[in-house]
Amino acid sequence: MPDIHDEDSYEPHPKPGVSHLDYAGEQGMAVEQETLVESDVVKREEARSLWGDAWRDLRRRPIFLISAVLILLLVIMAIFPWAFTDADPRKADLVHNYLKRPDWTDFFGAGWFGYDGQGRSIYARVVYGARASITVGICVTAAVTVLGGLAGMIAGYFGGGVDAVISRIIDIFFGIPLLLGALVLLNAFSTRTVWSVVVALGFLGWTQIARVMRGAVLTVKQSDYVVAGRALGAGTGRLMFRHILPNAIAPVIVVATIALGGYIATEATLSFLGIGLQDPTISWGIDISSAQKVIRTAPYVLFFPAAALSVTVLAFIMLGDAVRDALDPKLR
Amino acid sequence: MPEAARARWVLAVATSVVLVATGCSSGGGGSSSSDTSKTFSYQSSEPQNPLQPANANEVGGGRILQNLFRGLVDYDPSTAKIRMQVADKIDTSDSQTFTVTLKDGWKFHDGTPVHAKNFVDAWNWGATTSNNQINSSWFSDIEGYKDVHPAGGQPTVTTMSGLTVTDDLHFTVKLSNKVSYFEYKLGYIAFSPLPDGFFKDPAGYGQKPVGNGPYQFVSWSHNQEVVTKTFPDYQGVDKPKNGGVVFKMYNTSEAAYADLQSSNLDVIDQVPPSALATYKNDLGNRAIDAPQGAIQNIGFTLYQSDWSSPDKAKVRQGLSMAIDRDTITKTVLQGSRKAASAWVAEGVEGYKEGACGDACKFDPAKAKALITEGGGVPGNKLTITYNADGGHKEWVDAVCNSIRQSTGVDCTGDPKPDFKTARAAITGHQLNGAFRTGWVQDYPLNANFLSDVYRTGAASNDFGYSNPQFDQLAKQADEASSVADTVTGYQKAEAVLPSGMPTIPLWYYRTNSGYSTKVQSVMFDSFGNPAWTQIQVKG
Repeated sequence: MPDIHDEDSYEPHPKPGVSHLDYAGEQGMAVEQETLVESDVVKREEARSLWGDAWRDLRRRPIFLISAVLILLLVIMAIFPWAFTDADPRKADLVHNYLKRPDWTDFFGAGWFGYDGQGRSIYARVVYGARASITVGICVTAAVTVLGGLAGMIAGYFGGGVDAVISRIIDIFFGIPLLLGALVLLNAFSTRTVWSVVVALGFLGWTQIARVMRGAVLTVKQSDYVVAGRALGAGTGRLMFRHILPNAIAPVIVVATIALGGYIATEATLSFLGIGLQDPTISWGIDISSAQKVIRTAPYVLFFPAAALSVTVLAFIMLGDAVRDALDPKLR
Repeated sequence: MPEAARARWVLAVATSVVLVATGCSSGGGGSSSSDTSKTFSYQSSEPQNPLQPANANEVGGGRILQNLFRGLVDYDPSTAKIRMQVADKIDTSDSQTFTVTLKDGWKFHDGTPVHAKNFVDAWNWGATTSNNQINSSWFSDIEGYKDVHPAGGQPTVTTMSGLTVTDDLHFTVKLSNKVSYFEYKLGYIAFSPLPDGFFKDPAGYGQKPVGNGPYQFVSWSHNQEVVTKTFPDYQGVDKPKNGGVVFKMYNTSEAAYADLQSSNLDVIDQVPPSALATYKNDLGNRAIDAPQGAIQNIGFTLYQSDWSSPDKAKVRQGLSMAIDRDTITKTVLQGSRKAASAWVAEGVEGYKEGACGDACKFDPAKAKALITEGGGVPGNKLTITYNADGGHKEWVDAVCNSIRQSTGVDCTGDPKPDFKTARAAITGHQLNGAFRTGWVQDYPLNANFLSDVYRTGAASNDFGYSNPQFDQLAKQADEASSVADTVTGYQKAEAVLPSGMPTIPLWYYRTNSGYSTKVQSVMFDSFGNPAWTQIQVKG
């Protein structure tokens, strides 16, 4: 991450908005001394940005490392599921595999986790189910970040009437419970795919980001370097995206990362209720839903997709926590 | 736990000893006393239409109506034979004109007497196009039906010429054709009488029905419950032994089963697939496994251009042969069904095993060949629409997997949230391809499984199937001089179905049900209904 203030040396060491929090972290005195020295000598090349600091901080956190490895694994699983299993997740063999128990000797094989009530390999379905969850999580997060970020930026930057209108719209959307709203919206789709779920959750989920963004922009807007930039004749677009955005984005990233896990869980909930993803999409939520019918005779059919879902949601929430701690040590 | 159970058992014995000693009856079951004033609850689903007798061809409304109304005849729950209710006798000499004699003393729940004109008015009203009754074609045998229910446009009259009231207790029915088994049909709920008040406010009576059956309507909380109570003036042969039925609406059979186990529900419709493997253990002697005159099919949207061409019959035969019925009934359905080989359910008068022929035998190679020969499934994709509240997902998925793996046709299930939504989509022709369809007998005769489903324009012909040869054979069977000839006639008509394959027969039903510890003497008939009036609620 490059130093965001390299080109704009109105203030050699800006402490606007959230970014100053970085310097009051657990390193305490040491950091402050370092910054003192830094600002005295004005060694800009060595000056560490918020991002540089955050990265250094993250690298040392086991929680971050564990969740990052898990997420990397899940992403690879979502992109190349066939690298993890030879079995076809849709192949059903009722004659031989109906509710067959897990066979641990079949290490990484089709029968490793057993077979479900349709005679399908549970392991293959767990692997192939990652794609729907990861896609929904990442796409919804991207959608709400762009949508909410833009709305929050416009509201915070322009203020006044624009702010009033956008804030009221945010209030209205905030009043709609995500799950309930998604139920209603998804009912309108005759065939539901990953993309209809993304659209529904993105449409309903952007308000939180918008609020966070608006607050951050309001703080950053007051900074001297923004005022200076405006005085020097910088246009609205330049001010917004070169000066304000880089300094206001940190809390948005924190909120978005933590929310990502929540969106995956929401997708699974919707699919479980039969209103989210549909066959032939392979989704942990759908598999959990059908597993409940045989829970008394074959609990392993429920266990594996449920465990996969839990691990994935946990990984993203842990990542979000670690990122928040790194970017905003005051909340630690 | 055993101690608690023993304590209660001792208490029950003590109570019955006291009752016997004081000369009180301890009820038919004999195991413990019953209280005839107590109600019991039954698992139901929200009726699709207002509660008008000719407006229910689904179980949600039908089961409620058959308790609120009694027709001329009904069927004995233990033998499935016809027995007289409001009718004293029904006479005919030519199988075309029937003279009905009513018993005196029958009353509606509002106190007005049940007279011949109540039947005649009700049938006329139910048959008339402008009243939009879903079962109006049930009256199509009666002379003058075409005047009140023309093929297109509005009717010119509102009474059928075939119905004549002689006096309060006599009326005659003249049919446009000979229907040897017409009497069998009269037990169907559409032939119920209606009180005079109904015709002034049919919509209001649809929400608060007034009938002449063993139970009278108390309240209807939509999507929650319909409450009924025993009608003290009921004149039928099956006097209620309980205080009423509460129909509780459930969206899933799992929820109903959970409520049954916690005794929040007394009698269920069917145990959910998740409990089939264990319900006999769970419920012990309160479990029920009885044969049922019902069949599960996959219907096709023959009214769509995709499926209407004659070649597509081969595709449907192929799809049928791609389904491994035996394995699915044994595994996914856990023995709760029996693989079908005909369109008429097993145990029904006129059932002919193997009527479907090779088309109902699992043969993946031949299935694939037939589908190719017929030009393939449109888009190589098949969608089977079903209602998600009936425990159908497992077998629809299994059928789809079987079809996909045998033939490569990309088959998927399309769940609709509840039965009402699914039925509305089916009857409104808003589907694409295939859908789950079932047939529970209205009367235990093969004619019912064929005439009312596959005839051109029949009430439950949701497929748009029309075959002149079938219609002709059905007509001949109806005109036969005896019920026995009718049965063989309809067997001939059934033999026409494999060539067009309007539906794929899957399997015959069994009633897998159970009841709570609060009730006893629960018996299910071949309709899959409990003998409502005979259920005893423990005191």
